Amino acid sequence: MDPLAELKQTFFQECEELLGALELKLQALDEGSTDSEDVNAAFRAIHSIKGGAGAFGCTELVAFAHVFEASLDHLRSGRVAIADAPFSLFLRCSDAVADLVSAARNDEPARPRPDLLEALERVGQADAPKPAIAAPEAVKPAPAKAGAVQPEAAKPAAKKAAPKPAPASADDAPPGLAALGNLLAMVEAKAGGAPVAADDGWDDTPAVSTPPLKPGNDIRLSIRPDSDLFRRVIEPRAVFAILPAEDIVSITCDLSHVPPLETIDVTDCWMRFTVLLRTQMSVEEVYGKFDFTLSSEEFEVELLASAAKDDASTVFEAEPAPSADVSEVSQDVAADLSAILARLGPAPAAAGEPDIAPAAPAAPSPAIARQAPRPPANDAVAARQRQAVSVRVDLERIDKLMNLVGEIVITQSMLVECVRSLPYDIYAKTAEGILTLSRQTRELQDHVMAVRAQPVKAVFQRMPRLVRELAQTLGKEVRLVLEGENTEVDKTIIEELADPLTHMIRNSMDHGLETPEDRLAAGKPPEGVIKLVAEHRAGRIVISVTDDGRGIGREKLLAKAKSRGLVGADEKLAPEEIDQLIFAAGLSTAEVISDVSGRGVGMDVVRRNVESLGGRISVDSEPGRGCKFTLALPLTLAVLEGMVIRCGDDRYVIPIASVIETQHLASTPIEHLTFGQEVLRWRGEVTPLHRLGAVMGSTGTPNENIIIIAETERGDNVGIAVDEIVGQQQVVVKSLEGNYGTVNGASAATILGDGLVALILDVDSMLRLAASSERSPAPVLKMAG
Amino acid sequence: MTLQLGEKHFSSAQPESAVRRIVTFKVGDRTFGIDVGMVREIKGWQATTPLPHAAPHVRGVLNLRGVILAVYDLRTSIGLGLTDATATHVIVVVDIEDKVAGLLVDSVSDIVDVPVSAVRPAPDLERDEHGLIEGLVLLDTDIVALLDLAAVIRDGGVESPARTARPN
Repeated sequence: MDPLAELKQTFFQECEELLGALELKLQALDEGSTDSEDVNAAFRAIHSIKGGAGAFGCTELVAFAHVFEASLDHLRSGRVAIADAPFSLFLRCSDAVADLVSAARNDEPARPRPDLLEALERVGQADAPKPAIAAPEAVKPAPAKAGAVQPEAAKPAAKKAAPKPAPASADDAPPGLAALGNLLAMVEAKAGGAPVAADDGWDDTPAVSTPPLKPGNDIRLSIRPDSDLFRRVIEPRAVFAILPAEDIVSITCDLSHVPPLETIDVTDCWMRFTVLLRTQMSVEEVYGKFDFTLSSEEFEVELLASAAKDDASTVFEAEPAPSADVSEVSQDVAADLSAILARLGPAPAAAGEPDIAPAAPAAPSPAIARQAPRPPANDAVAARQRQAVSVRVDLERIDKLMNLVGEIVITQSMLVECVRSLPYDIYAKTAEGILTLSRQTRELQDHVMAVRAQPVKAVFQRMPRLVRELAQTLGKEVRLVLEGENTEVDKTIIEELADPLTHMIRNSMDHGLETPEDRLAAGKPPEGVIKLVAEHRAGRIVISVTDDGRGIGREKLLAKAKSRGLVGADEKLAPEEIDQLIFAAGLSTAEVISDVSGRGVGMDVVRRNVESLGGRISVDSEPGRGCKFTLALPLTLAVLEGMVIRCGDDRYVIPIASVIETQHLASTPIEHLTFGQEVLRWRGEVTPLHRLGAVMGSTGTPNENIIIIAETERGDNVGIAVDEIVGQQQVVVKSLEGNYGTVNGASAATILGDGLVALILDVDSMLRLAASSERSPAPVLKMAG
Repeated sequence: MTLQLGEKHFSSAQPESAVRRIVTFKVGDRTFGIDVGMVREIKGWQATTPLPHAAPHVRGVLNLRGVILAVYDLRTSIGLGLTDATATHVIVVVDIEDKVAGLLVDSVSDIVDVPVSAVRPAPDLERDEHGLIEGLVLLDTDIVALLDLAAVIRDGGVESPARTARPN
């Protein structure tokens, strides 16, 4: 893959994560969270998607994301109160972004969504005065519901802050901003010398007399490295080189902390730096750049308040960089400013980025304080630290690791065999070592498996969207509750989970839940609840989908089953048995073939999929109260508990999950039907019998002794005659498709202790093979293994 | 500079400077060759696990350090029956179409550089209906048949329709 394609791939992977985060945050907000960090996170997610999309030339995506971002920004800046924000629109837009991303990913033409775009553009238009739109981040009024009370609160503050009459153009600005404008004039005056230019301070267009500095944020970066900076092999120059040179206004080194020469340890770093930036980057971006090299205590990024003005370069000019005094002054000013801003509105100046400007005094907005018991700054820092320790690894590398571990396990079991032939005194010692080795390899295997494990969140995250869309299609009100999203399973299982889950939720939405009217009539709240829960139980992952709908319509189901001849006309079935019929093939109780059901994908397909993964599905229904589907799956597909069996010279592995019981051939009554077909009587049933060696074309002379009773996908039983049961063990599943192709009768292969390959039997595929080969003569040519 | 030395050497003799480096191996008294770039490794014969009802030239599958690959009997492919494999037989492990495969041959002979211009197209023989041979190279007295590996492994994984057809 060429580097660009690879980068693009990474971008799309990230998009998936970002979309998940976006949806999660929007959902939280929709459900009543007023945490401004949620708004910021949503904004950041769409911003990142836009950025990446721009880099890869996904114009449609960029265009949409841009409008979306802009409307989210209204929220971020408080122009639209969180409570009034149209989150359902945002959620639909997030779905639209997901569509655009997947279209871009698959190089398909994107479906334009003018309706959504228009709706987005209307967000915040009604009450957003023009100057406010141009207002940069630093002066954003408080977010959330507090917005409504702000103008009243701001006015007196403005007067207090600005005894001088406000200049003409500032009058047009909202009162809070006017106050700030005056404040900035003060800042400039205090900072020394520069003419007070407040009258063009809020003009959108830069003043003609603007000095050559380009517009952007003025950011102060204070770097106070630990004394071991050099010992960490970090060179300050390299640190600054991260920043684009044209953005750096000045770099000041404070040497006042350097100890006297006679006591200095030259490997210590005592220098402190102050960098002033005029940059297009946001505070976060600057922060991000340094986050790699320096720890978060070592540097501080501040958005200078004067950046609020486009021609505020005066601050930089007025600040003779090397002087420590001046910087103190401006810090005083910043403190004043923050204090005043705190009075102005309920949020501090940099409410947008509370985590990044910890220096700003925390004046909690009432709205935020109510919702977030913990300081949001800490949360954000913690989140960042968590991110820092995780690594994105190509699954292929982990597969290689897994392979290697498998090899070690084989080598080790080979060693065990070799050691047995040693003289006793040497044997004892070696055996001890090998015992330790085997414990370690087992541990290694577990850890590699753990590396492959991922939270089921990846699939769960897709479900809210599905529910939203279905709810709209079906005209139902549904609340989806997710639990245990952090339950971890192997990556391979995660990929396979999506389909069954989607079908189960579809089923619950379509068949389970009633319409709001029906629910009200049944004395239930109009909004139905679907619960999706994941948990670990006894080495399996158990996922349940519970709805509080009408439950399975047993009579209808039974009648349908009888009409299809699946159940005898006079047969009496227990209620639970009737429920199980839902998994029978071709039974759809949907009266109308809708968009959602009747596509020929029923619960029977779900069951087949689940069982092919070595899992089980069950249903539990209570009429009128709801229905619960429970899915139990192995934690991984990479390892399987298998029974090793022998036929002639060949060994096979049959998954324990499909084995019901084993018995001696000699003690089982066998009947011969036509064409050599054999059946055996087992537990009062007639069960077909197949001789594995013949079916699979094993080499060597077969001498069948054992019958394995196995279960097929359809729930029927079948007897498989084999020569010997060699043992039971965990085997590492290896694909045959990768280097060869599908093999009839086998689902995959594994490597046994002696390094030889054994096929892992797939009972159903084996039966199909038996059916085809018994009627036509087996190939004459046999292989001499 | 150094990289081109080899090509230069040939380019003085041949106007076309391109050279193919070929691994040659024997099945019976016949010599076959494939590009060295396709060869991953060469290993001694090792017991394979037969696959049910696979094509005759598919010997079975093998574990190559955790990777499972199929071994194809070249002797069977060219219509000479099964190789009676012994410890002296050799499996040439090749990369082909994103897959790894093993080729069972009698012995590996040599690695030779052949100018591209010396490769003749395979004669259009009726017997070679599978198109196993991509070209011929005359090397001293031997005729080296360059193998089209994709054709060698082609009918392996696919079930032949004759086997699934059910006579009623």
